[in-house]
Amino acid sequence: MTSEASYARRQNIIATAIPLAIGVVAAILSWRLGVGDLADPGPGLWPLVVSVAMVVIAAVLVVRSRPTGGEERFGRGAVIVVVAAGSLIGYALLFERVGFEIPTVALLVLWLKVLGRESWRMTAAVSLGVSVALYLLFITGLGVSLPHIVAF
Amino acid sequence: MGFLSPVIAGFGVVFQPQNLLYCLLGVTLGMLVGVLPGLGPAATIAILLPVTYNIEPTSAIIMLAGIFYGAQYGGTITSVLLRLPGEASSVVTAIDGYEMTKQGRGGAALGISAIGSFIGGTVAIVVVTFVAPLVAGFALDFGPAEYTMLALLGILMVTTLGTGSAGKSLLMATVGLLLATIGQDPLIGTPRLAFGSDQLLDGIDFVIIAMGVFGVGEILYNLESLRDKPPGPVTVGSVYPSRQDLRDSRGAIGRGSVVGFLLGILPGGGATMSSMVAYAVERKAAKKPETFGKGAIQAVAGPETANNAAATSSFIPLLSLGIPANATMAVMFGALLLQGISPGPMLVKENPELFWGVVNSMYIGNLLLLAMSLPLIGIFVRILRIRPAILAPVTVLITMIGVYTVRMNVFDMFLVVGLGLLGYLMKKVGFEPGPLVLAFVLGEILEAAFRRSMRTFDGQLTGFLTQPIAAALLGAIVLLVGWSLVRAARAPNLARKPEAEPLESSRS
Repeated sequence: MTSEASYARRQNIIATAIPLAIGVVAAILSWRLGVGDLADPGPGLWPLVVSVAMVVIAAVLVVRSRPTGGEERFGRGAVIVVVAAGSLIGYALLFERVGFEIPTVALLVLWLKVLGRESWRMTAAVSLGVSVALYLLFITGLGVSLPHIVAF
Repeated sequence: MGFLSPVIAGFGVVFQPQNLLYCLLGVTLGMLVGVLPGLGPAATIAILLPVTYNIEPTSAIIMLAGIFYGAQYGGTITSVLLRLPGEASSVVTAIDGYEMTKQGRGGAALGISAIGSFIGGTVAIVVVTFVAPLVAGFALDFGPAEYTMLALLGILMVTTLGTGSAGKSLLMATVGLLLATIGQDPLIGTPRLAFGSDQLLDGIDFVIIAMGVFGVGEILYNLESLRDKPPGPVTVGSVYPSRQDLRDSRGAIGRGSVVGFLLGILPGGGATMSSMVAYAVERKAAKKPETFGKGAIQAVAGPETANNAAATSSFIPLLSLGIPANATMAVMFGALLLQGISPGPMLVKENPELFWGVVNSMYIGNLLLLAMSLPLIGIFVRILRIRPAILAPVTVLITMIGVYTVRMNVFDMFLVVGLGLLGYLMKKVGFEPGPLVLAFVLGEILEAAFRRSMRTFDGQLTGFLTQPIAAALLGAIVLLVGWSLVRAARAPNLARKPEAEPLESSRS
């Protein structure tokens, strides 16, 4: 077996073992909710049916883990994704505390300059332009009350 | 002419200036989304859901529908010129379309695609006008038993007929179903799987799921190729096909319209599958099949006609049964719910302006798209040169702020990032996000319908067999499952790859 195929196979095993575990936990939790019977189902019956189906399918897939052709290796690109996701979490943390303007500009600069390696001129122009456009779209145009510090 | 009067009234809705404007906006966005590789129509519609919340329902749906069928036109451009399908439904077009570009006939390929798409789309709208109310009338008698089977069939067909591994899709469908159970029991209100969180007690909003898995998920996935250089300038040539071209593709356009329309109605069918089937049909019908793969114009005209006809006809199950047939329609379903409209057999009667407004707007939309694809094609070819590094932060910000506006809640922002990471990881390991989103939508329908039927049948599962339509649908489910098992058993060692796998980047 090539290393590519065994990598994909490992990926598949991990990716199906996680839903398997979640399915087992969900099945136990649903059972505790009270299943009732078919004529008078309790709140747990449907989640139990779904989680049992999930466990069965996941178990089959863990065993039959051969590559299906869609698997991709995690490479250097994954680092960009992790940084990007982290920045989005930070954006959400700051959003209500300091208003949307500063985090928006900061996110744009990070994505354009650091992740996208754009020139400083392009970064500055796009960051400012997009922030203003978003302000106009959501606050002026759609009348949504976003937390913001700049007011007209 | 009792039947036609609401249809004609629908044109009155379409020609209101604001609706025309939203139609234009929708199809333009659709063209852009189609041209730019990366975001697909489902992701775009998902991202824009919160924005449409503040727009009047009919206008909102007209715009979102425009994005969907507009993307079918736009997706062709990158397929033909660069061999980079902007949409999954244009993957097969790339085979012969790109050959034609190499022979200097790229313009003709684009032109015939636009004409085929226009004809396919228009034929489909005319048929929808007559078929959708019929289906809705038929479905008025459907009870919970029928809906249980219909929803189940929908989920199974999407997982078995869709692209990617059937097993993986099935697993994702159960994840979607499980996510749908979070929150309160729909009939008694007991909290379920909410882990004591007030935020989860209301359940996860569909908008969040769609925006996370489709929107943020695709943005994160595309970040990996963020630093890629945009393609260089391409020359298109004349987009007006010659008489010979038109004569050659006449049959293909006709067949494509029929294939596309029929497959579009099927759950799990939709634009992608219909384009692949149309390609196969053309190959069978061709007098000179050896020209396929070497720039045969029929191989471009057929699939492009079909994907557009399918995009239109896939509105039938959504608008007349309330059952979305594919992932994009699931997002559209979410858009209707967000507007306080529940799609189903009553929609035609209760909301004729919306129903006929949306259907008839597609005539205008297709005309606009024809204009954009023939005389204005140069503008869209130039858009190909926008760098993904600039596009990514813009789309992610619209998503993040949009998600906040749904409930004015920061918790949803964290949820959407989490679901986005899930969507990214799924794509990396070869799991399609479509079945998850579709199953999430159908999950609520399925559970409620299943439990209601169990009550009427007094807990007897055999009760489903006593209802003729439900029993017939159950028969279809059994056939489908049986057929998939046989297929899986026959090809144990063949990794099921979609035909056009080496083309890469059908990221939609």
